[in-house]
Amino acid sequence: MSGTLLDPAFTRELEALRKRLRVRARSGGGGDHVAPRRGSSAEFLEHRPYAPGDDLRRMDWLAFARTGEPVLKLFRAEEDVVVRLVVDASASLETGDPPKIQVAKRVAAAIGYMALASSERAQVLAAGDGLVRMREPVRGRGSLAKLLRELDSIVPEKGTNLASAIDGVVLRSPRPGMLVVVSDFLDAGPFDAALGRAASAGHDLALVQVLSPEELEPPWDGDLALEDAETGDVLEVTIDSRAVEAYLARLGGLVALLRSTAKKHGATYVRLPTTAPLLDAVRRFVGRAVD
Amino acid sequence: MGGFHFLDPKGLLLLAALVPLVVLYILKIKRQRQRVSSTWLWASAQRDLLAKHPFRKLVPELPLLLEILALIALAVALARPSTRGGTIDGDHVAVVMDTSASMATRVGGPAGTTTRMDQAKRAAQNVVSQLSPGADAIVIEGGREARVVAPLDRDPRRLQAAIATVAVRDVEGDLAGAVALAADRLRSLGGRQRIVVVTDGALAHDEPLVVGGIPTEVLGVGDDEENAGIVRVDVRSGVDAGSHHEQVQVFAMIQSFGAKPREAYVTLSIEGRTEPVASRRLLLEPSAKLPVVLTFEPRPEDHGLGLVVQLAPGDAEPVDDAAYGRVPGSLRMPLVVASDAPYSWTTRAIEADPNVDLQRLSVPQLATVNVDPEALVIVEGACPASVPGRDALVLAPAAGSCFGVGVGAPVDNPPLTSWETGDPRLRFLTLDGVHIARSLALDAHGHGATLVRSSSTTLVADASLPGRTVTVVGFDPGDSDWPLKASFVLFVRNVVELARLHRAQGAAGPARTGDPARVSVPDGTTKVLVDGPGLPEREMPAKDGVAILPPLDRAGLYHVRWNDPHVGSALIAANLTSARESDVRARPVPIAGAPAGTTTTNAAQVLDAHSEWITWLALLAALAIAADVYWTTRQPRIRRAGVL
Repeated sequence: MSGTLLDPAFTRELEALRKRLRVRARSGGGGDHVAPRRGSSAEFLEHRPYAPGDDLRRMDWLAFARTGEPVLKLFRAEEDVVVRLVVDASASLETGDPPKIQVAKRVAAAIGYMALASSERAQVLAAGDGLVRMREPVRGRGSLAKLLRELDSIVPEKGTNLASAIDGVVLRSPRPGMLVVVSDFLDAGPFDAALGRAASAGHDLALVQVLSPEELEPPWDGDLALEDAETGDVLEVTIDSRAVEAYLARLGGLVALLRSTAKKHGATYVRLPTTAPLLDAVRRFVGRAVD
Repeated sequence: MGGFHFLDPKGLLLLAALVPLVVLYILKIKRQRQRVSSTWLWASAQRDLLAKHPFRKLVPELPLLLEILALIALAVALARPSTRGGTIDGDHVAVVMDTSASMATRVGGPAGTTTRMDQAKRAAQNVVSQLSPGADAIVIEGGREARVVAPLDRDPRRLQAAIATVAVRDVEGDLAGAVALAADRLRSLGGRQRIVVVTDGALAHDEPLVVGGIPTEVLGVGDDEENAGIVRVDVRSGVDAGSHHEQVQVFAMIQSFGAKPREAYVTLSIEGRTEPVASRRLLLEPSAKLPVVLTFEPRPEDHGLGLVVQLAPGDAEPVDDAAYGRVPGSLRMPLVVASDAPYSWTTRAIEADPNVDLQRLSVPQLATVNVDPEALVIVEGACPASVPGRDALVLAPAAGSCFGVGVGAPVDNPPLTSWETGDPRLRFLTLDGVHIARSLALDAHGHGATLVRSSSTTLVADASLPGRTVTVVGFDPGDSDWPLKASFVLFVRNVVELARLHRAQGAAGPARTGDPARVSVPDGTTKVLVDGPGLPEREMPAKDGVAILPPLDRAGLYHVRWNDPHVGSALIAANLTSARESDVRARPVPIAGAPAGTTTTNAAQVLDAHSEWITWLALLAALAIAADVYWTTRQPRIRRAGVL
């Protein structure tokens, strides 16, 4: 099963894309990840005038010799960032053809691969009616198989409470990192508030919304009894153009909410139909698109 | 637009199919089950639709609604809904309804369930329902007299309710008064006027109706019907030629107004008794008039009772199949001669009649002797203030006043110039050659009428009072050569026969329906109790020896009773006996002075004129079915572009 999540051709594409993966989170811990802030890595960032009390070991003596002005050499910081892959494991992701959970796992695997290939740590978490599973973070390419197995073992069941799951991740994360939420976001709960709390905690948010074509363009018509995949509730509806328009208006409202939440917190938001090419979605992801 | 009604209401039974249709919809479980990620957005969308469109709840059952609509449309179409005719042209419309006896004729013969009056009411109600907006109508009934049923009104409901109260009266139809009343009422109004006469054409007179230039429409009701009726009835006392016993003779004239010969039975019965006293079988030829005489020997207790002549079997018009009379008093006429003279020519003339019970009195004895109240009283040489009995003949009264006739000075040798040959007292006689030596001058101008006149004065006057015939002769027959001539005997005999007739007719005399009845009662009677056919007993006033009953609307026997100053009763036999009312064949109604726009139409045609709505309802049902098919088989037409 894990072989279907990442095939060799796709992995080659990911290898090229991983260099564009940027994580804006500040974990505070030292690591291999080059942080946007100043630190003690080998990557030069800039000069600044010397001030009393500065570490003399960072003086650029060559520059002092040429200009006579004492300046300090500043380097980027290198942090140890965890890319947390929160995959929605509610029963709603079972639906669709192909099932949404399959696409969700593949996009999570792709992001996880890029993280591991960039010497970041990756952690798989399953969100259902709260945070239902939390694996230990793994690091390095050698851990890819384990990551994929962990993703592969996720079985959709029960309902969704994204807000509770996100809050659970924030509470259980000792340091902030990149928080990637892969879900259909068909959750009436206040997940946007939970996302705000995660952003406030320093997490770099990325939202991947997986939707099936039936959800984007309902093909049904006439009298139907719609069965909720999570609750089993049945809603009797007569689907006509007006009903579909009303539904799409509601879906548009959900998309707009996700878009505004992403913009508000500097997050990435990628909407991914299950029938769309996955690579395009990954490109938009690393480009930090807000769909 | 006329009233909306169904020509075949049984078609509405199809509406019963609504029950299984609705039940099937209630029981149906045919929604396709579709598993979705979440119904959250769909539920929200449904709430949005309900909020935007209040009738959205009905949309899910639109097929049911369409099928119900189609079913109702089909059921109503099967019931053949229709609307009556068009509109009546006119701002002010007078509807004149014939309420004469012929309007009770059953449509379709004796077995018919509706009458011409039913048709007339429908036609009249149809007319008021077709009034143009703002127009008003007055409803007038015309029987023997005209009567306003409903004043000018714009409310069709009130007018129709008033029309519904109109009833047939057993009277001859005379629409002249009703039409004149209608024309008079409309003439004072502006705008367009119109008279609508609803009648069967069986009217008492052939004279055209005068409508005063107002456009008139005659709505004829009824068709030719076979009918026979009693058109005349007379009851007399007589003597059986064989047995010489007294007998009651009832003369009835039966007339056929049909086109086919008919066998009929005429029976005579006494009021309150089941067994007829006489009967005859008749074969009535078409349009024939057949006299019938029914006789029976009355028992003493029969005198004064009611008689019913019945024509059987019944036919289209019931009212003329019966006639009524009264068993006359005994054949011998009580007669009182009050005279102070030693010899009376009058008495001599009367003694020749074997059917007279003669009683001789002096004039003063009239006030003291008990005189038969039905007796003819002859007074000679005086005119007392109070003369008992019923009819009276006064000869040579004293100067002064006699029963309202002035009695003046004597006139010598008055030449006899003329006499009223049509008066029953002067029937079959001539006064030519009669010479009068001396007579008192009578003055009949204030009260009474002249019967015999000379060149300068009245010699014989009629001083009749209500219910009482009084004849005043201004001279003593002994002062003339009249007793030597046959005309004197004939005159006395005529007076006696007239009194006999009045006695036979009772206190009231013959009565015709539609006329007020006059009943002679004792002077002191102030009220009488009256009951009649189909009427409750009611109290009526009486004054000066007369009780006048309002026009009798029903043919039959009316009983009049009084208790003061002593107990008494009278019987009134009211009859229609009108050949014109019995002739119920269709007749045109002539109209005089009618301008353009005057029409004669059969009411049945007007009532049958209607617009059916089957086509439109069938089209509606077809549209509903087509919409149902479209709804259930339609392809989705969803706008998706640009939503996300």
